[in-house]
Amino acid sequence: MVSDDITKMVVLADSSPILPSELALRAYELSTDAIVKETCFGLIVTGSEKAVNETIKELRRLDPSGIFVKDRGFPPGDSRRCRAVRGGGPRPGFHQLERESGILPSISYGLETIDEPLDAKAQKKREKLKIGRFIEIIEEQSKEDVNG
Amino acid sequence: MVKILVYPSNSLILSDLVTRFGHEPLTLMRVIRQKIKEVGIDSPPINVTPEDPKKGLKYAAVDVPSGVRGRMALLDPLIEEAEAAIIVHEADYSFGCMGCARTNELVKYIIRNKDIPRLELTYPTCDDEAREFVRKIRDFCESLTRKAEVLA
Amino acid sequence: MTRRIRIAHLSCGSEYSGIQKEIQNAVEAVNAEIVYPEVDTDAIKDAVREWGLEVASPDLQLMIARAKSIVEGGFPVDAVFITTCFRCAEGAITRSELRRYIHERANLPVISYSFTERTTAETLLTRMEALVTTALRRTLLAREKQTGLTAGIDSGSTTTKAVIMRDNEIIGVGWVDTTEVLKSAELAYTTALTMAGVDKSEIQALGTTGYGRLLVGETMKAELVQEELTVNSKGAVYLAEKQKGPATVIDIGGMDNKAISVIDGIPGSFTMGGICAGASGRFLDMTARRLGVDISELGPLASQGDHTRLTMNSYCIVFGTQSLVNALSLGATKEDVASAACYSVAEQVFDQQLQELEIVEPVIMVGGTSLISGLVEAMQDLLGATVIVPRYSQYIGAVGSALLASGFVE
Repeated sequence: MVSDDITKMVVLADSSPILPSELALRAYELSTDAIVKETCFGLIVTGSEKAVNETIKELRRLDPSGIFVKDRGFPPGDSRRCRAVRGGGPRPGFHQLERESGILPSISYGLETIDEPLDAKAQKKREKLKIGRFIEIIEEQSKEDVNG
Repeated sequence: MVKILVYPSNSLILSDLVTRFGHEPLTLMRVIRQKIKEVGIDSPPINVTPEDPKKGLKYAAVDVPSGVRGRMALLDPLIEEAEAAIIVHEADYSFGCMGCARTNELVKYIIRNKDIPRLELTYPTCDDEAREFVRKIRDFCESLTRKAEVLA
Repeated sequence: MTRRIRIAHLSCGSEYSGIQKEIQNAVEAVNAEIVYPEVDTDAIKDAVREWGLEVASPDLQLMIARAKSIVEGGFPVDAVFITTCFRCAEGAITRSELRRYIHERANLPVISYSFTERTTAETLLTRMEALVTTALRRTLLAREKQTGLTAGIDSGSTTTKAVIMRDNEIIGVGWVDTTEVLKSAELAYTTALTMAGVDKSEIQALGTTGYGRLLVGETMKAELVQEELTVNSKGAVYLAEKQKGPATVIDIGGMDNKAISVIDGIPGSFTMGGICAGASGRFLDMTARRLGVDISELGPLASQGDHTRLTMNSYCIVFGTQSLVNALSLGATKEDVASAACYSVAEQVFDQQLQELEIVEPVIMVGGTSLISGLVEAMQDLLGATVIVPRYSQYIGAVGSALLASGFVE
């Protein structure tokens, strides 16, 4: 790998109708110089900045709100990151990616509905309980306890 | 295009959204990419050497744990370059580079003391919160675009 | 060749302190491998909640989840190495509680260490060696009696000791100042052989320990080359006749101090300190010289004095000595000065090292400094426990080596 190559991760939201294999197939069809590796999250794309960005631009078209991209420091298969070489569990970053993947469907939904008005009810924030109301609740509750 | 420091700096979602809304996310992955390419340094896994915690003295005194200072050294180029920032709270799954609570507190403090536009929000836990989350980031990014255009 | 043992590394900041490579090197030097316990991402929060320590740092939470994975048998390992950054309160609490938890629940050898960016592979090596030995040589460590004719050499930083043992009896000893490592070892060994009245060729097995153990062991073709934590643990409970159950071994050395929690003669957890000379035998040596007495007289002198009559403003060897000199010039007695010096060393070891250990009686003091009665008394006072100083305690490493080496006698 030449030193100015970059690597990006393409992650599919669980809610996306696209399968990782379809994503990979599309990437292979594109005749850029980027190298593509299929993963359980989606793809890892490596190559010159131009080739990687072109590939990703095309891939995003498949499902604009369901495909997410981030940079990756290490090229694919680097032994310093490789799970087989490391022995046992994954690197901490894996746990983070897994957690973030969990909320991708919601983010995806947020992107799809970005221009629709927000539901006023959902927007309502949890407000602090007024002290007067709190006293009422305590009184109601203690009456119930006495009666119960 | 504005350089936006996102925190957690290794977040997929933040990195993606900032790019999507037309700006450049400053992420740790890019720092690591440079770091692991450094010739002649053999300090796996991420080529952080004992020199890095020393560089971190720029932000914290020697009585601050080395893990905090080493992480600060990695984040230094991002803090330096940042023209705007998005900080997300309650990112409880931030392991590794973002895995130290004390470092996270210090970084946020430093960002807040920089004179740059800043958006602070909480990670969404449901669809409705996610809608608001995405919208706030878009609006923030658009405001930066408008500002950049005015300045241009 | 022994199999590579699996050491689970639980850590939150070693990669970011630039010392992961050092840890890797120390682990490879003892023919072991580092592994990372597998945990389910979704289970991390639950693991932390169940374990009950609310730590803010996600990486510490991950350490807890990984420790639980080991204890619950989900991930087989031979030993555990726990590291967190020096000076981090959150890290220190998690580190020591995890060590206790794993040791008690999984019956695995655990070593913990707080590092800085200056931590080197050399510093870690003794710990790794002890960890691996404890994991692998349980049978050897189970030995309770010395058999045959064996010898042990403890090549220490200040003094070199040698003993000759025959059928569970010490029949010869040698004690010299360490100058050139090999020459000193040779001299101590010859002295012990002469006293025992045996020829070197008759020795059936030799064990070496201490700083110079590798060089001496290789040159003299020793059967056993072993770090001092394991050897001293074994030697201490052997000499004190406390081989079964828990014990605490304290060894204040010339260069570093060891405090070891021992169970059935095997080191469970321990602390090794070597940062400050003010907490070493060297400080007492300097005090004796300043008082114009032989080191052997310092203990009895201290026993007659009262440390509370002096103000020691510093733990440091330079400023501490200065305090003592000032006290003398102000009319303090030699006895009080000797007592204050002993108390200062004991207090520093107590404050900085023993806090990390669970002190269980019997407490056994070993090494050359255990002969300084004033120091033993100060330690007893601080611990509120009786301290045992067995006979031959100053030869602890050599005795432990000779005892363990007899495992190699056919």
